[in-house]
Amino acid sequence: MTTQDQVRKWLCYALGVLPVWLAETQILNRVPLFGVIPVLLPLAAVAVALWEGARCGAAFGLCLGLVADATYPGAPGGMTLGLCALGLLTGAVSQYGVRQTFVGYLLCSAVAMGALELVRVAWCLLTRLGPLPAVALVAAKEGLWSLCFTPLIYPIFKLICRLVGSRRPGGAYG
Amino acid sequence: MKKLFQSNGGLLVLIALLLAAITLVLSLILSGADPLANLWGVVTTPFRAVGTAAADWAERSFSHRYREEVLADEVERLRQELAAAERQVREGEAAQEENQRLRTLLELRQRRSDLTDLESATVTARALSNWESSFTISKGSNYGIQEGQCVIDAYGNLVGVVREVGLNWATVLTVVDTDIDMGGKVSRPGEQISAVLEGDFALMTQGRVKLSYLPEDIQLRSGDLVLTSGRGGVYPPDLVVGTVESVENDPSGMTRYAVVAPRAELDTLNQVFVVKSFDIVE
Repeated sequence: MTTQDQVRKWLCYALGVLPVWLAETQILNRVPLFGVIPVLLPLAAVAVALWEGARCGAAFGLCLGLVADATYPGAPGGMTLGLCALGLLTGAVSQYGVRQTFVGYLLCSAVAMGALELVRVAWCLLTRLGPLPAVALVAAKEGLWSLCFTPLIYPIFKLICRLVGSRRPGGAYG
Repeated sequence: MKKLFQSNGGLLVLIALLLAAITLVLSLILSGADPLANLWGVVTTPFRAVGTAAADWAERSFSHRYREEVLADEVERLRQELAAAERQVREGEAAQEENQRLRTLLELRQRRSDLTDLESATVTARALSNWESSFTISKGSNYGIQEGQCVIDAYGNLVGVVREVGLNWATVLTVVDTDIDMGGKVSRPGEQISAVLEGDFALMTQGRVKLSYLPEDIQLRSGDLVLTSGRGGVYPPDLVVGTVESVENDPSGMTRYAVVAPRAELDTLNQVFVVKSFDIVE
């Protein structure tokens, strides 16, 4: 791909993240279902890493993490590191194991959200934010409610990848 | 003479005279139109009808077009008038809202004269996290807002505390957040019970705050009013926090705490007031 194609590709991915981010910060936070707000940026990072591989996934996760740290309250830098790692691992797994189908994306997203919530619970326990049952309940609800949005996020990035994404040897568009 | 007459259509003149005479006689004898006129009318009526219809159509089209243009100009003029009227209505509504805000602020200042400097702000962003209870307001250090300042609603109820300040924004931790820690008291007629307001994660998810370090011999009742104590001079005293909902035992069973329901409507706040300074009452 030429440099121009690369720039166009990443601009398209960034535009794809925009509705996801807007939905999370402007709409879904006003109508928390089950008392929790879903977290959608990690799902976007996983989607892009699934299609683009480890290196690009890590870079995209890093950028999304910066946006998340600027947007979400909490430990600064945590989401930057977390989403970068998520992108790297998801991209690596998709290169050698998981197919780029919706099931593969759902599996990666579930593992990613599980890891994210585990880190959150550990942090809450470490900082004595609250007792384990309460913290675990919020983490479980947040993770499960966020995963419900995978059928909406997957088509967005699949479409972008089909239009401008990279073609990896042996890779298949699900 | 005869040849001149014959060569210049004299015969035709005779025929014409004859026809005229016949027509005259017949018109005198018969009622109605004379035969020639009648014949002319019969023959030309269809053509006249077509011509009249065409002329009418042309006239209608022209006048329709002309009226369309006149109506279009009229519509445009009315649209502009409507837009100007709508603009005035909007400005009026904005002025009315500002008037109401200023009236509320004036009433609040009259009611709470000890709160010497209040800065009004609007809520620009609601909670984005399930792990804390906060929101963002429209003013920051450019209006002298600082970390740790109390935030109240239009009725003087405690909303929270400023946690983070930017140039033109600030984040406010609500009263149910886990980082809240301030002196509180239960106010009853002739009696005041000191305690500590502190955030609890489990209660935060339910929109409640914990009132702990209650004296052992005190019996709290549902509905008891909880206020800020103002001890230490960090936060203003006598800000309404909420009402006692229930009294629970600590997991250790050694102490009790009260579950307080905040009086401020944290989920629907639009306007808040930051207490930038207040009189310290000893």
